Amino acid sequence: MIPPEIRPFGDGALLVVLGDRVDEELNDRVHALDERLRRAFASAEGWGRPVPSFASLLVPYDPLRLGYAEALARLEDVVQTDHPQDGLQPSLDGPAADPLEIPVRYGGAEGVDLDAVARAVGRTPDEVVALHSGPAYRVFMLGFSPGFPYLGPLPAALRLPRRAEVRPHVPAGSVAIAGDQTGIYPVEGPGGWHLIGRTELPLWDPERAPPALLRPGQRVRFVRLETVER
Amino acid sequence: MLEVIEPGLLTTVQDGGRWGFGHLGVPESGACDRHGLAVANLLVGNVPDDAGLELTLVGPTLAVHEEACLGLGGADLRATVEEPGRRTIRFSPGTSRMVRAGSVVRFPGPPAPGARAYLAVAGGIDVPEVLGSRSTCLAGGFGGLEGRPLRAGDRLAGRDPAGWALVDRAWPSSLPGRQDASSGPIAVLAGPQPERFPDGTLERFLAEEWTVSTHSDRVGVRLDPLGDPIAPRPEAAEQPSQPMTWGAIQLPPDGRPVVLLADHRTVGGYPVIAVVARVGLPIAGQLAPGDRVRFIRTSIEPAQRAAREQAAIIQRVARQLGGRVGEEGGTPGRDPV
Repeated sequence: MIPPEIRPFGDGALLVVLGDRVDEELNDRVHALDERLRRAFASAEGWGRPVPSFASLLVPYDPLRLGYAEALARLEDVVQTDHPQDGLQPSLDGPAADPLEIPVRYGGAEGVDLDAVARAVGRTPDEVVALHSGPAYRVFMLGFSPGFPYLGPLPAALRLPRRAEVRPHVPAGSVAIAGDQTGIYPVEGPGGWHLIGRTELPLWDPERAPPALLRPGQRVRFVRLETVER
Repeated sequence: MLEVIEPGLLTTVQDGGRWGFGHLGVPESGACDRHGLAVANLLVGNVPDDAGLELTLVGPTLAVHEEACLGLGGADLRATVEEPGRRTIRFSPGTSRMVRAGSVVRFPGPPAPGARAYLAVAGGIDVPEVLGSRSTCLAGGFGGLEGRPLRAGDRLAGRDPAGWALVDRAWPSSLPGRQDASSGPIAVLAGPQPERFPDGTLERFLAEEWTVSTHSDRVGVRLDPLGDPIAPRPEAAEQPSQPMTWGAIQLPPDGRPVVLLADHRTVGGYPVIAVVARVGLPIAGQLAPGDRVRFIRTSIEPAQRAAREQAAIIQRVARQLGGRVGEEGGTPGRDPV
């Protein structure tokens, strides 16, 4: 296990790098460190809410209240303390927990890229749907836009680079794939992933607490809904 | 009460930002030039980060239905006030004025230099707080006015228009009220992962004079090189996405850097060549298409000292003008007028 590295990210944040791979064990450590930092800094002046990602974590601080040297020393204290329990946090779902089911209508107007994806990976659209709705995926992080979950790993047979063109208006609820990830666009907006289906599950509601339906470490599974003929 | 007659290119409600929700994918939002917003707010007696309007390049036309105390900061969109039965008067950035009912305020733009102006209303714009801020989150479609840019017919008012109005104030001429690409090079810190770039890339980034592309918005400012393009190491493009910050300068393989602004994506895969120092963020927020811009390297301690000095200026002016100082400043008296 490589020790975490702390690097300054501008004059108001520090970046903690735990690795450079998309990997469940590494990601567990990221979210465990996130929790540990929130506990350690809960009542401390000048710290912002950490932003976890696949293998690194951003820790914002307020340079008006906290100088760099002090911030670095205090973060090092928390990060470099040995925590064998990291990765076994009870808040993260264990492998035994039932995945949350996400009903999806695949293809047609709901998944405009399904046929193109099938051609690109040399499968039938039905095979693509079966492959995509097979595994339970891990929520690696929320990011990009409000409530967007990065889910993975995607079956190797479905991996494609992002689309060459970014669509300006991807509909809310669109289920998409790119690289070794699958995701869901919670609100309408631009997007460059391949759209293969859509869910009506409300992933994001700023008036709800918490606003995001999914949280890192959780497991989800896509369930195929038959597209109603219209 | 203000009514939007023409919305302008992109007019949104913005305050000091929605901090602390990056882990949910929510950007800070808020004024791209927080200094400009602070100027406008202080001139009408608001706290520096209160909600105002951010106007972009070509601003709106607003009808004033009830007498309103307005303050202006940021870029000069050549604003005018037409009061009924009077001649049209100029409304300059760095001033506040009481505008009579029946007046029309115009912001024809485009500014030169700069990109964004800030209009403050005494009492702060009256929209609900969502996740702790009144800022418009365009990516999430919430905050501000229904999560969207203003359009014709929208009506806005101050939350407490009579309470704190300061009128006929002007920003002290001895202090920086406006900053933009003409203010000199933007201070940056080296990016967090220099190993993702060939040796000398940061030096070449700093030596370049960049042109601001028209493909720029509140998410980021895209820069075109005049000289030979620079790029990250090819293998660095394969890295998993990492958290991003306001001010991070991403360098994609095409060699056209993007300076992330208030509505930036919370994570991104492109390597970060440099990060704009906090004092430079208001200037980055005023970059307009066609602007030429350079960057200058600083280090963390001087950058943080400069940030504290900039914050102290805001506090000092707030006291001088007799308005509210903000969270740390206590409760100064009301305007005696």
